[in-house]
Amino acid sequence: MANRKNKAGKLFMSGSTLLYMAAVCSAVPVGDLLDRASQGSDTLHSLSTILSHELQDSHFPPIGRVIMPRPSMCHTSSLQTPNDKEQALQVSESDLLSLARSLLKAWKDPLVVLSNSANDLPHPAHNSISNKIQQLQEHSKSLGDGLDILSGKMGPGAQSISFLPYRGGNDIGQDKITKLTNFHFLLSCFRRDSHKIDSFLKVLRCRAANMC
Amino acid sequence: MITYYLAVQMCFIRMGRPQMYRKSRLQHANIYWLFMLFSPHMSYVFGKNKVHSQVTGFCHLINHMLVMSLPFQDTQLSGMRRDLRLALLLLLSAALESNSMSPPGKPVLLGCRSPEKETFTCWWEPGPDGGLPTTHRLYYERERLEGIHECPDYQSAGKNSCFFDKNHTSIWVDYFLTVVAFNDLGNATSDPLKMDVMEIVKPDPPENVTLLVKDIEDSPHLHVGWQRPQNTDTESGWVTIKYKLRVKQENNKKWKEYMSGTQTHFSLYSVSPGVEYSVQVRCRLDHGFWSEWSNTSHVKIPDYLQDKRPFGILVSTLCVITFIATMCILVMKRKYLKKCFLPPVPGPKITGVDFTLLKSGPTEDAINSLNQNFPLMVAWKDQMEDYLIVTENDIGLEPHPFISQKRKNRSMFSSSGFCFHSEIQSQDSRLSLNEQEKAGKRNHEIQQFVKSNKSLSGTSLSNIEQTQQCSHKQQGTIINFGITEATQQSRSHHDNTVKPLTDSGYVDIRRHEENTEEVDVKTLQYSRVKEMNSDNTLILEKENVSRPGYMDVQRQENTEGYSRVKEVEGDSMIIVQKQILSSDTYYKETGNNSIDCDLQMPRGLTGFSKVGVCAELDSGYVDTIPVTHLM
Repeated sequence: MANRKNKAGKLFMSGSTLLYMAAVCSAVPVGDLLDRASQGSDTLHSLSTILSHELQDSHFPPIGRVIMPRPSMCHTSSLQTPNDKEQALQVSESDLLSLARSLLKAWKDPLVVLSNSANDLPHPAHNSISNKIQQLQEHSKSLGDGLDILSGKMGPGAQSISFLPYRGGNDIGQDKITKLTNFHFLLSCFRRDSHKIDSFLKVLRCRAANMC
Repeated sequence: MITYYLAVQMCFIRMGRPQMYRKSRLQHANIYWLFMLFSPHMSYVFGKNKVHSQVTGFCHLINHMLVMSLPFQDTQLSGMRRDLRLALLLLLSAALESNSMSPPGKPVLLGCRSPEKETFTCWWEPGPDGGLPTTHRLYYERERLEGIHECPDYQSAGKNSCFFDKNHTSIWVDYFLTVVAFNDLGNATSDPLKMDVMEIVKPDPPENVTLLVKDIEDSPHLHVGWQRPQNTDTESGWVTIKYKLRVKQENNKKWKEYMSGTQTHFSLYSVSPGVEYSVQVRCRLDHGFWSEWSNTSHVKIPDYLQDKRPFGILVSTLCVITFIATMCILVMKRKYLKKCFLPPVPGPKITGVDFTLLKSGPTEDAINSLNQNFPLMVAWKDQMEDYLIVTENDIGLEPHPFISQKRKNRSMFSSSGFCFHSEIQSQDSRLSLNEQEKAGKRNHEIQQFVKSNKSLSGTSLSNIEQTQQCSHKQQGTIINFGITEATQQSRSHHDNTVKPLTDSGYVDIRRHEENTEEVDVKTLQYSRVKEMNSDNTLILEKENVSRPGYMDVQRQENTEGYSRVKEVEGDSMIIVQKQILSSDTYYKETGNNSIDCDLQMPRGLTGFSKVGVCAELDSGYVDTIPVTHLM
């Protein structure tokens, strides 16, 4: 009898603690969460921009851009995203978040490929590049976790994620020029997508705060 | 140009008439030829089209050769040939002339820029127009857009530019742009330019930069305010602007930059009054390019602190003057201050006593002066019985005034000897406070001694008893104190051996008090030693009337000299013993007159250490030989 009472008491305590915790956690306003997420996406985009410039500076001018494959072949280009301000402002918040999450998730594997190939990249700054790729991975992971938490607060539409597989494989080329070209191409795709994520989150942030 | 040449040619042909002499014709021809040779070169040097000039020069050479080969004969046939060659010349000239028109050169696309992520503009550089009016057209292809499109607006952004408005601008898609130059003779296509709007974002500089000098709590600071560029849309969050400003002092050439984040104002605190500052602001969107610096704004910080300075100077001057004055006063009055704050430590002083007199030894005058200082004691003489408590530890002090007085027969002690009385004690306390204190410490020791002391015997005890009872009848009996094992105070033992003493001396006799009166120092009783016999016994004498019943051992010297009575034999014999009871005891060797001492073992005496008592008879002191082994 006493045992049962003890168990019931413990259950009650744990239940109330959980409820309290849930109440406290949900008390964090969405605006603050979005603010934090947009800071993360800003960092992500800034890193990718720096990385592209670093890659381009010493090596790429002689090759020229026309030779590079058209970025419409980015593996995320199948995703329908707004292409100007009007379109972006018309998309609902949950859809915007869903787009951001999908894009971010789509880059989980390709970043691994980039990271692996950065070590052997025939580029003078390949160590620095490899370091930055690792940072990109870390930030991407933490932003993904943050967006997952956010999605729980923004309705069912935010929960759906489009599946955008990367089919490029692990190999980015054999000879130096091919390697560099493919690496640069992948990076430019990532830069574009990181800018998309950043813009969507910043629009969401301003909408949630009702003032910017 | 070509008509000129034709005209010149015509002139020379006309001049070259057959009538002229050959020589002059040759001269003219030479001049003409030289002119023709160099002119193409000159046009080559100054002209634009190299090829054109070279061709012209070559044609002219041929032309000249044809002219030179013209026969200068007046015949019909030569006239025909002349016209033919003329026509040929004209044809050649025309051909030369037509070579300067060409299709346009290739234009170059300079770049594109979007000021707010909603529109963008592209510029190009046209190539050479080839002498004909050329037009340029921009064509683009876009990702996710089929077909080739032409620039929607050539006008809004100025010459050689193309403006893409909101409807035609898409972000996150690639544009492929080309510019084509057209003229009557052909066209030229520039190299294609691939761009994405997100890569070309560069905003306009911030507007309305205002500078305000704010004065908060007497510290000036510069408040810089500005507005965001008009065309940027920050309210919806489409763009996020970050600002940066730079400040320069008027004399300095170096700018100092500060980041402002997203705020449209900034406060600069490190400003100096009286200096003119120049400020510029710029901004950027997301992570794009920085805009151009805004127009410079200037401001001069006013010199308003000057009216506060005199006040500060005045205050500081007053403080300095006050400080100096204080120091001067302190220095001048230092002796007084020294006396006030560091008073001299008073030396020991008894009013009425001049210590310098006493230093030379007890003298008549000193004693007299001392006596005069104790009028109270004189008054007490008849009434009370005063006593002196002297113990070993008092050895070393100056001769107690009491002792001196006794010596001089000015004793204030009553004939009854020492009497322990509480009243007297309190009266006496003033004078013998020292002894009391010391005695209090040694109460224990005394008790010990007293306990170990055996009973005193002899009638002297009775004498002491008498004294104790404060009787006033005393006999000058010599008291022998016998200390026996038996703790009985047999008080009937006397010894009659007498040794005459030249001087009176005091013997400190410790007695064991049977009765329950306080056993302390006050119970000490004194007997005067009459003489000392060869048995190392002290013979106490009976007191005379003036000083009945007390015995005192006088100290001659200012040294320790007390000894304990070991045994009292008979009426007038005291055996002095060495005191080995406490560490306080000490013995002084007189040194001068040492007498062979026989260790006397008094009968019945046990438990005490032997003592060799050597007495200096004349002095009256009972000094003991210094003990070889002190406790």
